[in-house]
Formats: sequence, structure tokens, C-alpha cells
Amino acid sequence: MKEKDGMNVMRESAADIAAASVKIAARGVQVFYGDTHAIKDVDVDIADRTVTAFIGPSGCGKSTFLRCLNRMNDTIDICRVEGRITLDGEDIYDRRVDPVQLRAKVGMVFQKPNPFPKSIYDNVAYGPRIHGLTRNRAELDEVVEQSLRRAALWNEVKDRLQAPGTGLSGGQQQRLCIARAIATSPEVLLMDEPCSALDPIATAQVEELIDELRANFSVVIVTHSMQQAARVSQNTAFFHLGNLVEYGQTAQIFTTPRDPRTESYISGRIG
Amino acid sequence: MTVSLLLVVVCAIAAAGYLLGRSRARAASGGDTRKLHSLIGYHGQSVLLFSAVPALILMGAWLILQPMLIEGRVAGQITAADIPEGGSPALVMSDVRRIAEGLDLLGLDAGEMAALGADPAQAGARLAQAGIALGSEIRPNVLAAALDYRRIADGAGLAMTVAVIAAALAGLALSLRRITADYRARNVSERFVLVLFIASSLVAVLTTFGIVASLVVESVHFFRLYPARDFFFSLTWNPQFRGGSDLGIWPLLWGTMYVSLVALLLAVPVGLMSAIYLSEYASGRMRAMVKPAIEILAGIPTIVYGLFALVTVGPFLRDWFAQPMGLGSGSSSVMTAGLVMGIMLIPFVSSLSDDIINAVPQSLRDGSFGLGATRSETVRQVILPAALPGIVGAILLAASRAIGETMIVVMGAGAAAKLDLNPFEAMTTITVKIVSQLTGDTEFASPETLVAFALGMCLFVFTLGLNVIALYVVRKYREQYE
Repeated sequence: MKEKDGMNVMRESAADIAAASVKIAARGVQVFYGDTHAIKDVDVDIADRTVTAFIGPSGCGKSTFLRCLNRMNDTIDICRVEGRITLDGEDIYDRRVDPVQLRAKVGMVFQKPNPFPKSIYDNVAYGPRIHGLTRNRAELDEVVEQSLRRAALWNEVKDRLQAPGTGLSGGQQQRLCIARAIATSPEVLLMDEPCSALDPIATAQVEELIDELRANFSVVIVTHSMQQAARVSQNTAFFHLGNLVEYGQTAQIFTTPRDPRTESYISGRIG
Repeated sequence: MTVSLLLVVVCAIAAAGYLLGRSRARAASGGDTRKLHSLIGYHGQSVLLFSAVPALILMGAWLILQPMLIEGRVAGQITAADIPEGGSPALVMSDVRRIAEGLDLLGLDAGEMAALGADPAQAGARLAQAGIALGSEIRPNVLAAALDYRRIADGAGLAMTVAVIAAALAGLALSLRRITADYRARNVSERFVLVLFIASSLVAVLTTFGIVASLVVESVHFFRLYPARDFFFSLTWNPQFRGGSDLGIWPLLWGTMYVSLVALLLAVPVGLMSAIYLSEYASGRMRAMVKPAIEILAGIPTIVYGLFALVTVGPFLRDWFAQPMGLGSGSSSVMTAGLVMGIMLIPFVSSLSDDIINAVPQSLRDGSFGLGATRSETVRQVILPAALPGIVGAILLAASRAIGETMIVVMGAGAAAKLDLNPFEAMTTITVKIVSQLTGDTEFASPETLVAFALGMCLFVFTLGLNVIALYVVRKYREQYE
């Protein structure tokens, strides 16, 4: 009975979201890790130029679902994905789709800052170089500068672009990873708990950045912090035990949740 | 008392000390062991360490010093007349030792021994019966020296037994007396163990110094007999039994470098690529099968590789490459030894590099895949740079193996010292020549033999230089993961 309520609620809120143009649509997505059923029949529409937050207790499958959106789960041998996920109407699990090309369009920022052991410049230039996005050094310089500016890191590193990226502070490293992701000019940016390894000041900087990125990208962020979801996102999806329990506008989810499980989680009774 | 029996006694004293220490600590606590500063086990351990370790160190030192001191005293009895022509005092002293051991074996009582001591011919016959073969007849002085040697050694052995047991008991008593409820046995054993660890690590360091010192001393002897200028700059290697040899290092150094280069040119790319396949592409099941198979290569003795070079690779290269191309007609060649050595080195490079590549954090791979990089782009641009210091280390390890390899070179490349560019010519390396010069028939004090030490010294400096370069490269390109 509850399950059914959840579905109905979801359809209603999905209608709200469909008002904006849909960038990614997932239908009936199931994910298995060996014998474990990690994601159960999830339907979600991710709107363009919006920040969508995935919240839920640990192990609820929100990161797993996020990794389905750019086929990062392909690198895990025992992982199997069923259902249909489309990007701009095109099935990303279609045989003809090259996951490498897909990941250039759907960028990803990870939980722990993972700059490559290279210079700051080379970190940002990595994507443009492997995808041949620039014709000459001047253009590449331009892309690197733009990306670092948009990641709010340019002023701090412009004098030491050749210094190693691993020598930056944790918050700077995470912004470097964001700059690296946006240098490839993706259409969607997936962020897997991007602030969990950062202090409050760096978190504030990254959150501010996420809000600015909304102007150009569709951003999907997984977070453990409900305050963060409330601060940065327009839409929020609540996952619980592999199910998508409730999905709707952030304000509505946090003020008038329709599912009792959502309410319990937000008020701190489960989690 | 024999050494092994003495060892057992010391161990027994130490074990008793452990138990006594425990019971004394328990008694000191008045029945409540919580009142003790340290657990009773630590009290036992401190007694054990203080009774065993000083006694064992004393025993070790005694065993090393005793023969030296005794020989010093006995050597005075040997006159110049006792030393046969062409022999040396050291040889006579070794005869003395063997006669003394032989007399021990005969198991005579004091009277028989005195009678035998007065009659060298009879002594020689008895010793020959007991299976002690001596080169010439025994001279009276030598026999007297041997008897003295026995007497002193017996006395010294008894003294050692007494001293070692006394040291063990003294350690036991002293450490036992110190046990009170407040005695910090835990800290004391901790400190003791620390000293033991430091001493152990010093053994390796001191051994290195010892090796270098012995190389330097003998090299200096060599350079007194043979001009250093000729050794370092002559391009000819032509040792003669009768003296007047040309002992230039260049043909050997060149052979060493050439063979190692061929080996590394094969081993590094193949090893590295197989490491990349194993760590980045292979499925778990594939890896579980292939990795042990490659590592089997590392377990094959080099002499077997040598056979492979001699009977298979050498003739194959001669028949299919050297002769058709008109480059040579022998099956011993730099190419043969280099290729076989390269095969031997593949598991070193691949196994070490595989471990190093696996140590690169998964987050870096994810980051690269997340930007739309392919596997090979990720390997080339992220994994290899991150693993570079370790890979350089692996290659350098392989290089020092290649430089030090002897058996494969003897059987694959021959023993002719030549300076040549043709890889199908027979050449030889420093290590091969060290073996052949030291095991030759020439006198030990001749430059033809002593040159082995100078060669060894050069080899040592050469590999040291390689290591220094490696350290520099690693430090310069070190890139931290975190």
C-alpha cells in the first residue's frame, strides 16, 4: 500500500518537474551487484540547467544510481544495469553508444578530491587534450583559464599553474577537480558527495560554485547533508533501501513531504 | 663442553630465569599482580634477556677471537726451516690445525699422546689411518705446535664454558634482585629489545663496509702491481700466465653493458606491457592464471637459462640470423646471452611493476574514466606517471641483476673479451672474468688474480652509480597520490 502511495506521489511531482525541459530520463532502472539488488525500479527525470539532489541514508543506492548516469558502473565487473536511461532522448545503454563519449558529455566529480599527479594546468587540460577540443596552445590556455575561473580557483593558482595539483589544499583540490570536469564542457555534471572531505569554508565555496554552474549545466549532486541539499538544489530525490521514495521540488520535499519515510528521514528518525 | 651443549645450558638458564622472574614478581606483588608496575610476563622477559643475551654475545666474541689468539701464540714455534719451499706460514698453520684436530679424533690418553708427540713419523702414520691426509711428513716443530695448540684450545674451551655460564648466572641474579613491585620491567624490556633491533640492523651495514673494505684492500694490492692507467684506459684484455698481461677493463665493461642493454631492451617493454595487461585489463580469473605462470620464470635457476641459451637460442640465432646476414658463425653471442637474460628478467619487471601499478589509487582511474578517457589513455597519462618512481626502481633492480649475471653469459656469450659492435660476436662480461681469474691456476698474489678485486670494485661502483641515478630520477619525478 505504502509502495503504491509512493509511486503516485512520484508521478505527481514528476509532472511539476516536466515543466522544465528534461535532460536525463530514467525508466524502470534496476541495478544488481552480483546477487544484491541495489536499485529497484527507479524512474527519474533530471531537468536541464537545474541542480538535482539525491539524498538518503548510507547504502540506499544513491551513489550507485548516480554512477549509472555516465556508465561508470561499467568498470565494475559484477555490476549489471537494467532498464532505460536516456540523455536528450537517446538511450545511453544502447549498443551503439560509446561509454567513453558519453562520459565526456556527462562529467563526474568524486567524493574524495582526486587530482592527477600532474601540474594544475595539466590536470585541467587533461579532458580537452584527450578529446581534441582545442586547436592550439592558445586555445587550450583559454579553456584552462575559463575553467579555473568558473571553478573559482583562478585567482589562487594563476601564478603557479605548473605546480603539482596534489600540493593544493583539500578544498582547492576539489575545486580543481570541478574545473577539470567542466573543462571538457559536459552537458551534465554528476557530483558524488563533493563536499564530504572538505571543511565548512571550502564547502561553502563549492556550494556557491554549484549554484553558479546551474547557469550552464544540469547538475546532479549526491549528498549526506540535508542542509546542503536544501541550500543548493531545486529538485530533490529521496532514496531508501534501493527505492526512490519521493521526488519533487526541494522546498516541497523539505517542508511537506508526502511519504512518511521521507518525513522520518528529514526529521532524523531514520538514517 | 661443546658449543652446542653450552648453548643449551644458556637457554636453560634463561628459561629458568623467565620462570623465576615471574614467580619473584608475583611474590613481590603480595598476591595481587595488579599492584605491579609491569605484567609478570615482562618481569620474566627482562630476566630472560639479561641472562641470555650478554652470555651469548660473550660466547660469540670468544669463538671469533680464540683461534686468532691461539695461533698468535703457537706461530712463534714455527721456524723458517719448517716452511717448505714455495709454501707460506699460513699453509703451515693450517697443517697445525689439521694435526691438532686429527689428534682429537684419535682419542688417546695423555701417555699415548706424549709418546706420539715424540715420534713424528709414528704420528703421521696414525693420522693417515684416521683419514687425515697430510701433504708431507710431519716436522717435529709442527707436531709440537699442534700439541700446544690442542692444549691451549682445551684450556680456552674450559675457560669459555665457565665464563659464559658465569655471565648467564650473573645476569640472572642481578636482574632477579632488581625485581620489586615498582620495577619498570616493561620499559626495561622495551629498551632492551630496541637495542637488539638496532644491533641487528647494524649487522647488515657493517657487512657492507666489510665487503667494501676487503675489495678496496685487494684492489690497492692490484694497483701496486699493475698501473691503474693501463687498467682504466687500455682497450685490450689479454691475461698471460707468465706475466706481462694486458688487463684493460674496457672490453669487459663494454661486454657487460652491451649484454645488459640487450636484456633490458627485451625485458622492460615486455615486462611492463604484461604488467599493464595484468593489472588494468585482465579479468580476475585470467590474472590468477597468468601471474603465477610468469613468476615461474623467476624460479628457474640461471644455469638452466644458460643451457637454454647454449643449446636452443644460440644455434637458432646463428642459423637463422647471424649466418644468413653474414654477421658471424658462432653460436655464442651477445644476442644469445642478452635475449635469454631478458627472458629471465621479464618476471622481475612485470611482477614488481604490477604491484606498483595496483598500488595507484582507484580514485585516479575513476577520475580519468569520468572525464571520458579510454583505458589506454588512462594508463598512459595517469597510471604510468603516477607509478613511475616504482617502475624506475623495478627497472633498476632488473638492470643490477643483468649486470651481475654470470652463468647465462658464460654459456651464451662465451669468454672472449672483445670490443665490438656486432651483436652476433662472442663477448664477455666483468663477472665472468672475475670467476675465471680467481679460479685460474695463477698465484694469488699475481696481478692476473688480483685484477678480480679491481673488477669487482668497478662493478660495485657501477651499480652504486646506477642506484644514485635512480634515486635522483625517482625524487625528481615523484608525484604523490594523495
